[in-house]
Amino acid sequence: RPGFLSFNVNHGYLEGLVRGMKAGILTRTDYHNLAQCDTLEDMKLHLQSTDYGKMLSSSEEDLTVSMVDSKLRENLLTEFSCLRSNALPPLSTFLDYITYSYMIDNVVMLITGALKQRDVAELLPRCHPLGAFDQMAAVGIARTPTELYSAILVDTPLAQFFQDAVSECNLDEMEVEILRSKLFKAYLESFHSFCKTIGGDTKDIMCPVLEFEADRRAFIITVNSFGTDLSCTDRSALYPSCGKLYPEGLSLLARAEDHEQVKAVANCYPAYKIIFDDPEPGSGFKTLEDRFFEQEVKLNTLAFLQQFHFGVFYSYIKLKEQESRNIVWIAECVTQRQKSKIHNYIPIFQETT
Amino acid sequence: MCSLLRGEEMCLAQLFLQSGSAYDCINELGELGLVEFRDLNPGVNAFQRKHVNEIKKCEEMERILGYLLREVKKADISLPEGDVNPVAPLPKHVMAIMEQLQRLEVELGEVTRNKEKLQRNLLELTEYTHMLRTTRNFVQRTSEVSVSFCHVYEEFPFLEKDTLMDYSSMQRLGAKLGFISGLIQRTKIEAFERMLWRVCKGYTILSYAEVEEYLEDPDTGEPTKSVVFLISYWGDQIGQKVKKICDCYHCHLYPYPSSNEERTDVVEGLRTRIQDLHTVLHRTDDYLKQVLMKASESVYTWVIQVKKMKAIYFILNLCSFDVTNKCLIAEVWCPVNDIPTLRRALEEGSRKSGATVPSFVNRIPTNDTPPTLIRTNKFTSGFQNIVDAYGVGNYREVNPAPFTIITFPFLFAVMFGDLGHGVIMALFALWMVLYENNRKLKNTRNEIWNTFFEGRYIILMMGLFSIYTGLIYNDCFSKSLNIFGSGWSVKAMFEAKVWKDADIRGNRVLTLDPNVTGVFRGPYPLGIDPIWNLASNRLTFLNSYKMKMSVILGVIHMSFGVILSTYNYLHFRKKHSLYLVFLPELLFLLCLFGYLVFMIFYKWLVFTAKDSRLAPSILIHFINMFLMQGDGVQPLYPGQTGLQVFLVVIAVLSVPVLLLGKPVYLYWLHNGSHRLGMYRGYERVRRNSEEELYLMRAHDMEEGSSHSDLSTSGERQTEEFDFADEFLHQAIHTIEYCLGCVSNTASYLRLWALSLAHAQLSEVLWTMVMRVGLRMDTSLGVFFLVPVFGLFAVLTVSILLVMEGLSAFLHALRLHWVEFQNKFYSGTGVKFCPFSFSLHLSVT
Repeated sequence: RPGFLSFNVNHGYLEGLVRGMKAGILTRTDYHNLAQCDTLEDMKLHLQSTDYGKMLSSSEEDLTVSMVDSKLRENLLTEFSCLRSNALPPLSTFLDYITYSYMIDNVVMLITGALKQRDVAELLPRCHPLGAFDQMAAVGIARTPTELYSAILVDTPLAQFFQDAVSECNLDEMEVEILRSKLFKAYLESFHSFCKTIGGDTKDIMCPVLEFEADRRAFIITVNSFGTDLSCTDRSALYPSCGKLYPEGLSLLARAEDHEQVKAVANCYPAYKIIFDDPEPGSGFKTLEDRFFEQEVKLNTLAFLQQFHFGVFYSYIKLKEQESRNIVWIAECVTQRQKSKIHNYIPIFQETT
Repeated sequence: MCSLLRGEEMCLAQLFLQSGSAYDCINELGELGLVEFRDLNPGVNAFQRKHVNEIKKCEEMERILGYLLREVKKADISLPEGDVNPVAPLPKHVMAIMEQLQRLEVELGEVTRNKEKLQRNLLELTEYTHMLRTTRNFVQRTSEVSVSFCHVYEEFPFLEKDTLMDYSSMQRLGAKLGFISGLIQRTKIEAFERMLWRVCKGYTILSYAEVEEYLEDPDTGEPTKSVVFLISYWGDQIGQKVKKICDCYHCHLYPYPSSNEERTDVVEGLRTRIQDLHTVLHRTDDYLKQVLMKASESVYTWVIQVKKMKAIYFILNLCSFDVTNKCLIAEVWCPVNDIPTLRRALEEGSRKSGATVPSFVNRIPTNDTPPTLIRTNKFTSGFQNIVDAYGVGNYREVNPAPFTIITFPFLFAVMFGDLGHGVIMALFALWMVLYENNRKLKNTRNEIWNTFFEGRYIILMMGLFSIYTGLIYNDCFSKSLNIFGSGWSVKAMFEAKVWKDADIRGNRVLTLDPNVTGVFRGPYPLGIDPIWNLASNRLTFLNSYKMKMSVILGVIHMSFGVILSTYNYLHFRKKHSLYLVFLPELLFLLCLFGYLVFMIFYKWLVFTAKDSRLAPSILIHFINMFLMQGDGVQPLYPGQTGLQVFLVVIAVLSVPVLLLGKPVYLYWLHNGSHRLGMYRGYERVRRNSEEELYLMRAHDMEEGSSHSDLSTSGERQTEEFDFADEFLHQAIHTIEYCLGCVSNTASYLRLWALSLAHAQLSEVLWTMVMRVGLRMDTSLGVFFLVPVFGLFAVLTVSILLVMEGLSAFLHALRLHWVEFQNKFYSGTGVKFCPFSFSLHLSVT
């Protein structure tokens, strides 16, 4: 295997660091305890005994869910920037790739916000800090994707994903979603091929994860396009071509017209069959999104079973993001007194480590 | 002494605390640090416990205190530290502290906010002045070069052919020329300029210049360089875009004056306003300092008080309520000897809170293993730490620490044996010991220094023992001391006419013959004869001596460890282990390696210089002992073969006894106990200590029969017996012990190796460094000797004392942990950690 000898010289410290941080991911018992909380103050008290420590206690005002959310994001950003600032190439490029997806989301959010005549100052705090970049606030100026590309994003790393997305039509809400899909397609394909060039275990770990991500996008795009005037050919142009569905599954998906047909496509692939299967009786209803998240978490936890690869970094960030979603979900349920739904979080590590 | 050997006797006690006085009682206990509390509600979450609100309040106070401390530190006010130990505040006084803190926080927050606002204001004004001053230059420059400027404008239509409007048409439309000016961080200016160009397609002109001064960033407080820029643009639409871009780059925009008169007016106005602001800021600073000074006086006390209070509530959360809800029940581990003190502390607590019903202690019998407490003083604590680093002893197990006090420095010194080095080490340790109360030495944050300081008594002992072994080896910086006069005489060789003058001239090396009368006048009174330092066969002589010494010391050390295990067997009432484990172990060790030691001594005593040529090799004899073939080799003494066969047979026979004895006996005991009902009662008396049994009986009488169920269930637990399990454990132990005897004995040879290495290294240092300096014959040599000695001293300390010392320390540690302690010490206990304020408190 290439890179085994020199891996620890360059990236060993960071891998150790990230594995240490992974040990701080909340366990089953933590979630169990969190779910028993009655107020956000209780949650804060419990989170103090975890790796989050004093994260929530430094503020004077009363806690709100959005504050918890932003604190969690800040926490993730601190950890990530610690990793990023110590990284050497090619790990640094790899870590940059992780941020690009957040950048795309931010850009799309800002444009939609600008379309709705929202103030930039109001939108900026809602952007994910991992995807923050200098030119972010100016995104709203752009009227067409071409303008967006040539005027604002040309200096950013996102520029490389714009090859297919450049068009002259005015940005409206539909167009923005299409832009997002196109950018993601280019991004995923590029990330996929980057992981392939790194090779070794990184490839073995990361490619399935990214393929899953690509297929998820394809499914979601299909499901979301029902009832819109997006044609089959338009749709198929948005599917990332690096997934397991490529090429047969994608062409089937492009022709699908209702949920049943999508399910039929998924049935051909055992990995996705379980996602679209009807839930077992008694296990409670879960949205398609949650099922995909569940599957993603499963894939990401696998990354920690091997050593000397970059997959752990990606997986850690994704797992941590899921953890934030879980905490926010629980916090949301706690504040809205929806105790019955509180258990819809997705536990990350099944065993108590 | 007994407590150091076995640790304190512990008991489980129940504290019944009246709810009114519980706080004071726990406070009293926290000051004393007597007892370890057990969690009585392990199933309850942190936020569902009784005193969670109080803890939250404490945390709130801690947050405010943290904020205060940060502000105080920022303002560079030193905290009045000291050995003040304020008591935990009473619950009724907490509100007062809380209020005080909140008031301070609000006040401080307001002042700092004001100050920040003022500073921001000031920054804006300064920026504005800078902008005005710098842009004036732009305008002046433009007017000077207006001619060439015009050309630039005219080129636009050619450059941007696709634009709908060209310059002339724009002029016709009367599009207004607009200005935006402001400041931007220097690092961002390039990207800013580029984006401006791309978005506005060149319908703007940007001119900028750097501000010389560093302006403080209000968010981070770091001085940053800024750039003043002026954008001129045509048309409102472009203007909108430009404004958006400016927002995006966090530019600070300021209105651009339309005329020169206005400019000068504004500058004048700004100057006076800046001056005003400076005075106001100054006042605010003074006030802030006053507030902080006032706060800093009591902040240290508050921090400790809040910490104590939080600790008390934490402990109260561990307690459970009794049925009537009137008193709290706490379960504690407490040393039996401290129970009177505990009672007194509770009385004191009750008295302080003025409770009518006293709180009291009740010992309860238990089957749980208590934690281990070994009381130490400053001398023994270092040695105890060495043992604890391996593992905390089981409850009432024999503690190796008291023996380690002697054996550890001794084994170290065997490897480190050098008089001079020992003296330096002992003096260094003595200095630390004498100045141990010095605050500067005590309170450093230097981890390495602290390690040395904590082990000062160990180092002292190691130094003293090194002096002793140095005397025995007769080594002082690799030179020998001739105190009593050597026992060898060269002169006698001449007198006996063995040597002649020609021999001296002709040979570089001559051998002294001890058989010639007068040459060897008897042994040197203390240690090795100094003449060996000159001998060329010194190494051969010392190697043989040190190697044998290592084996002797090792066998003694290990046998001692095995013998110590009897103390455990006797104390834990495992008499069968005495016969079935201890005896075969000791026999195995002594029959093989004890006999080796015997042979070494025999050879030393029996063979003298006269018949030294006949002296046999012990190694050969020892090997032959196992091969059971003595033919061909002269026996050492009559009956040697018979004795050796006997010893080997005993050693071999003790292995199956060790392997099978204990499991089979336990199996028999277990099966037998079913048949013999009488036997069980007997066992019970033997197993529990009599005192405990007495307690149990007293308790049974109190609470009727409720407790006897408990005790029988406990009894049943101990009765569970799995033969396979027991056998496997014993098999592992047997294999480990028997192989260990061989490898451990070999392991003690490190004593020889390390001592050899140390002696050789110090000799090399002498010959390579010091002797070079001493060889200089001229008077210059005196001056030359100074740097040479310096080098010698530095190398001696850094290599021989520090590095060699650490390595010898490490090996001595290993000999204790692996070779000595595995003979008797299991070290799987839990340390007793009492609830004590002094352990929890450390400011910041």
